[in-house]
Parts: sequence; C-alpha cells; structure tokens
Amino acid sequence: MTNKQQKYDVGDFAMFFGPAHPGSGNFSVKVEMRGERVLKATADPGYLHRGFEKLMEYRDPMQNSVLSDRVCVLEPLQWNLVHAEAVDNLMEYDVPERAKYIRVILAELSRIQSHFIWYAVMSLGTGFMTGFNVAMGYRDYILDVFNMITGGRVYPAGYICPGGVRKDLPEKAEKKILAVLDKVDYMRKFASTENLAWMARFKDIGVLTKEEAIKYGATGPILRGCGVAADVRRDDPYEIYDQLDFNIPVYDEGDAFHRFRIGLEEIEESMKIITQAVDRLPKGEVRTPNLKPTVQFRKAKGETYVRNELSRGEGAFYMVATGEKTPYRVKIRGPSFSHMIPILERLLTGVDYADLPAIYWSLYQCPADVDR
Amino acid sequence: MKIGPVKEVFKNLFKKPMTVMFPQEVVEIPERNRGEHHLDIDECISCGACARICPNRAIMMVEVPPELKEKYPKTYPQVDLGKCCFCALCEDVCPKGAITLTTYFFLATFEKDTTIKEPIIIE
Repeated sequence: MTNKQQKYDVGDFAMFFGPAHPGSGNFSVKVEMRGERVLKATADPGYLHRGFEKLMEYRDPMQNSVLSDRVCVLEPLQWNLVHAEAVDNLMEYDVPERAKYIRVILAELSRIQSHFIWYAVMSLGTGFMTGFNVAMGYRDYILDVFNMITGGRVYPAGYICPGGVRKDLPEKAEKKILAVLDKVDYMRKFASTENLAWMARFKDIGVLTKEEAIKYGATGPILRGCGVAADVRRDDPYEIYDQLDFNIPVYDEGDAFHRFRIGLEEIEESMKIITQAVDRLPKGEVRTPNLKPTVQFRKAKGETYVRNELSRGEGAFYMVATGEKTPYRVKIRGPSFSHMIPILERLLTGVDYADLPAIYWSLYQCPADVDR
Repeated sequence: MKIGPVKEVFKNLFKKPMTVMFPQEVVEIPERNRGEHHLDIDECISCGACARICPNRAIMMVEVPPELKEKYPKTYPQVDLGKCCFCALCEDVCPKGAITLTTYFFLATFEKDTTIKEPIIIE
C-alpha cells in the first residue's frame, strides 16, 4: 500500500480507450495516465472472438471457405485466398491459370479498398471527417465490382474457393474493373498526405525503429515503414505474382505518417498489378474439380502452412488433415495480432493522449483478426 | 491562397451526388446478387444435398402440409432466413437447379417467425 502511494500521484488515473469509443473498433486499450501523458498502455483484445479455429474443425473445406471471409471484415477476399491455397496444397489441386489471374485481381482490389478504409479511419481518428466520407464513398465503387463478380458487396461467401474460383467473371467485368481503377486514381490523388493537417498530426508520431519492428514481429506496411523491404509476394511468391512487375515501397522513418505513405503507394502498385493481370487474363476453366462444390477432403493427409501478403501484413493458415471429412486442426495467423498487442503497447508508452488515435489507427488494426 | 480547393467546391456543386433518393430511385442490383431463395418444388428430388452443405444448418428437410401430401409425398427444403448467411452453396450443390437465390433483398422483419420460408405456401 505504501509503495502504491509513493508510485502514484494525485493526478494519476486509469481509463479505457474503447471498445465503446467511436474511434476504436471492437478493441480496447487500458491507459494509465498522469495528466495528459500516457504512463502505460495495456491492450485489451477479445471483444470479437468467434472461434474460427474450432469452428473450422467441424466443417468441410467448402463451408470453411465461406467462414474464412469473416476472419477480417475489411479484407475478406484475401482471407478466402489464403484458406483456398491451404486446401489446394493439401488436396494437390492444379489450379487453372485463369482462376489464378482472377484470384490475384480480386485480392488486389481488396487491398485497395482496405487501404481506403485505412485512410478513412486515420482521418476519422484525427477529426478530418471529409477524408472519411470521401474514402468510404470511393470504396463503394470497388464494392460494386465485388457485388457484380461475387454476388456480395462485402462478403464474397467463399468466391475464391479450393480449386479455383466459384464462378467465371461476368460479361464486361474487365471493362468495369478498369473503369473503377480510374476512380481509384482520382481518390489516390485526393488523399495526398502532403497537407498541414496530416503533417501536424502524424509526422514524427509513434516512431518504431527497425530493430523493434523485427523483435516484435511486425509485418506488412508497418515493417516496410521502418525500412525493411519484406513482402511475401516477392520473397515467397504465390499464384502469379512472380510473373508480374511491381515495386515494394519502403520508408526508413518508421513514424505514423510514413506508415500511411506506404499504404498510398501500395494502392498505385496494386493498380499496376490489376492492369497487368487484366491485360494478360487467359481463357479457360476456372475450377479444378469442375463438378460440384464439395471437396473430397478424405483424400488429403498431412499438414501445410501457407502464408500470403494481406493488406495488413502476413496472414497464414496452418492446416492438418488426417483423412477425415473435416480438417483435424486449423491455426490462423492474423497480421494485426503482433501489431496491436506488443507494438501498440510499446508505442503508446509516454505519448500525449491526443496522439493515441493517430498511433492506434496508423498501425492499421483489425480487431477481427486479432481475436479471430 | 491556393485555388485548388475552391475549384473543387464549384465542381462538386454541379456534380451528380453519389447517393440516390432511395424509395423513388434504386441502384441497379447485379444479376449475381445473393438474395432470398426460390424453390421450384416440382424440380426438387428431395436429395437433401442443400441441407447437408449448409454451413449454418439453415435448411431443414420438411414435409408439406397434409392437403398437398398426395402431390408432394417426400420432404422438401425449408429455409430459415434468420440463420442463412446467403453463401449460395445450396444453389451450387443442387443437382436439378431447383433451389436458386434471387436478387430480392428486402428481408428485414419485426417478427421472428416470419423468417422461416416454407417449401410451398398455400394460398
């Protein structure tokens, strides 16, 4: 008791940032403060736990592919892709070339809309409502394309499924995708971060060093914002990424501002990838077992670990098959887990409370994949 | 002072808004949009594939009301739209194409019982 009295002074208090805070998502941070300064921050996840790893042990791969949308609400097609690749590996499916192109086009469109949300929430967190409204508005054009191709605006319901994709692209889809890229380009120019409001709120805020980023397991834009050029699409290519020409943006500064610059430049690179893929789109089948949507999972035996570059970082599936109808064990690695727990706690120590939303959103969090 | 923002304001004054006036105008719904189910009961062979593949177990094979029992003696899919996640796996798995998803999506309701969609409705 005496120790506590010595440690804390009268102006100290503890409070929650989230989960009911309008700018926190389904995640909460317990902050201990002295005046306006954060002394210690403790991440408090678990508000969005749905237990996918256990649910997947009771469902066959086709049903799981519908379930895999839900791992992260903001990038469902990319999670579809990781799951589908894991099952493809176990079943030794030879995915048709056209399906691979469609998968990449959709995954990159998903990355663009996810980065728009990043711009939107960073604006929202710092009180720049115009940015939020415009980014969400332009994201809608991409959602219209998803609706046309997959049948759902946000949830594709396992469109990218084991063995390929569930349906071929509809007529004129290529034209519509390219038309949407024009809108994306306009939005990208609008979202220029070289303005006073952004510089003041994000420059030199939440600086993460290269060593810390590696130590705490950062991936994706957070790691590239610290000067490490690591990208699964380049280091361990999947689908058709080895045949495509794109750059990996890297910045050495490691602050909130440059973390988001990576996002903006990745939108440009994604547009490049989509244009190339649409140009080279071959004709042919889109699904290996071209009969029924069911996967004969009893034939699969062994284990696999598949990792992909999602918009937030490295997402992976570990799956074990023992000759049953359903997987024996599934482990999902979400990129936000290491960003939102160790890195967030480290970056929030000693900052002003007003900088908390800026740092929080610059880490590109998704509570859904922290909790899974 | 920069002229850019002013130009943008004037451009937006005369631009068509992104949203539409909903009840009078609706946005175009794509053909593939996954909405409410439609069952062609005469095509259905009661194989139960849709009930087995449904990830949420929203489909149950049930008997039709007694007055139609003679015409439809088997069991037919009854969809609980309250449980359905609209993944369209039932549509893909159906060997006869009897169950399909329409583009209709105005499904909000105040009563829970009305979410259950019987295989055949007696008028």
